[in-house]
Amino acid sequence: MTQHSTGTSITFDRATKTYPGAAVPALDALDLEVEAGELVCLVGPSGGGKTTALQLVNRLVDLTSGDIRIGDRSITDQSAIALRRTIGYAIQQSGLFPHYTVADNIATVPVVLGWDKARIRTRTAELLELVGLSPVETWLPRYPAQLSGGQQQRVGIARALAADPPVMLMDEPFGALDPITRVAVQDEFLAIHRAVGKTTLFVTHDIDEAIKMADRIAILKPGGKLAQFDTPANVLSDPADDFVAEFLGAERGLKRLALTTVGEIVTAGTTGAKAATTDGARPSTTGWPDVEATMTLREALSVVSAARADGAIVHSDGSRLGEVSLHDLIAPPAAGEDREGVRA
Amino acid sequence: MDVVFGSFPFMIDHLGLLLSSTGDHLVISLIPLLAAIVTGVPIGVWLGHAHRGEFLAVSVTNIGRALPSLALIAILIGFVGIGTLNAVIALFLLAFPPILSYSFQAVDSIDRDLTRAARGMGMSPLQVLLKVELPLGLPMIIAGIRTSAVLTVSSATIATIAGSGGLGDVILNQVAYGMEGVIAGAIWVAVLAILIDQAFALLLRISAPAGVKRLQSANAA
Repeated sequence: MTQHSTGTSITFDRATKTYPGAAVPALDALDLEVEAGELVCLVGPSGGGKTTALQLVNRLVDLTSGDIRIGDRSITDQSAIALRRTIGYAIQQSGLFPHYTVADNIATVPVVLGWDKARIRTRTAELLELVGLSPVETWLPRYPAQLSGGQQQRVGIARALAADPPVMLMDEPFGALDPITRVAVQDEFLAIHRAVGKTTLFVTHDIDEAIKMADRIAILKPGGKLAQFDTPANVLSDPADDFVAEFLGAERGLKRLALTTVGEIVTAGTTGAKAATTDGARPSTTGWPDVEATMTLREALSVVSAARADGAIVHSDGSRLGEVSLHDLIAPPAAGEDREGVRA
Repeated sequence: MDVVFGSFPFMIDHLGLLLSSTGDHLVISLIPLLAAIVTGVPIGVWLGHAHRGEFLAVSVTNIGRALPSLALIAILIGFVGIGTLNAVIALFLLAFPPILSYSFQAVDSIDRDLTRAARGMGMSPLQVLLKVELPLGLPMIIAGIRTSAVLTVSSATIATIAGSGGLGDVILNQVAYGMEGVIAGAIWVAVLAILIDQAFALLLRISAPAGVKRLQSANAA
């Protein structure tokens, strides 16, 4: 299906963490199987143990009981330091070393691994290209303070990818970015993720970010218990319990519309406008606004609503793809269910 | 003012005396200063690295601040008697607290996200220390050394009451050298303190990695 070649699965096996002096576990017997190449978002309120779960994997926090395996190998099989060098790690505010240049920051893990200089140089340049900072020569000698937040975060991602780890841990990496930059960096990271296929655990408190990024979402509730683990579409359409429903919020139905693009329902031929033609009563499209095929149903709905129209004309690369009625937008057939296919 | 101007001919006339006193002065101030550096910096840095012992670092500093150097020398006379050793111990006790607390603060106050990122990427504790904590803490560590250096060089003046020589011999002996001698000695001590301070500032400029220097100038701007 997808060309996730370099990822390795991560398995939480009744992973439990109780901090010293705490009455209740921060993470309570978590069972979670993250498949190779999958991007799983850990979401939940503060105190749900999502960051704990993440830091258990690279042993910044030690397990109280249970086990975590990367591939077939328990994380306790090797030293914490050796383990961490095989795991990409990116954190909020990027965590870039302010006294290192971009080049030196990216080279952090390769240097501790003892790569030779030529190999490090090649790899650093390659990664900067990958995260969209080119021409690389202009970025290599800069210091973090000379970069915008989004650029810092891109360098942070490049640094995490430096030694080509099969697994990536990301702890609210985009949490400090302004909304516009965040969307741009999310899109870029998704593209990178699809290209490199790293198994990724991604902690976020932003449910919209999780819906956008994740193949599957793990929702943790206070007390460190797993409330639900499923695809964004299934979580939104079928919350496991009241906690999940409440966490997803009253706009859950709208959020679900963000899983499908207008292009997808038009090309799938499931739009009502076509059905209407067979009735011979094609609705008038005068005054319908234009939307791009790459827009989500939610975004298109917003455009249609703003224009006070009954539908929209869908364009792709400048040519007219078709049209969607208001009804198509708000009640798409099986929204998001063919998403896996689209991703592949 | 006449006495101040009069101190310059004194310097020329008594150059030999001032130079030899300066030599003694440097010995009794630099020995305790170096001892405080080689003990205070590692202990402070280690405590900061481990994020432990804040109480110790702070208490030592406060005690150090409260101790009058004159009293210290007087007390030490009871233990080690008169002489250079007395002055060296007293000045060490004076120099140690700022170096310890600055070194502790320098490392302890580094953004925890940075050290977490460093550890999370697989740096060993020693690598975290050498690559992240020490370079970033260096300016503050040196600031502590400069504070202690100025303190030690100026306080070494009163070490003369322990009979250990130095420029204090000139300054506190108005009977023999007159007011011109007192002022001349005081000016020399002040200049010496400034020179030592600047020497360590220079050391920072030489030893700091390029990235740390950049941060320094960015912070100053």
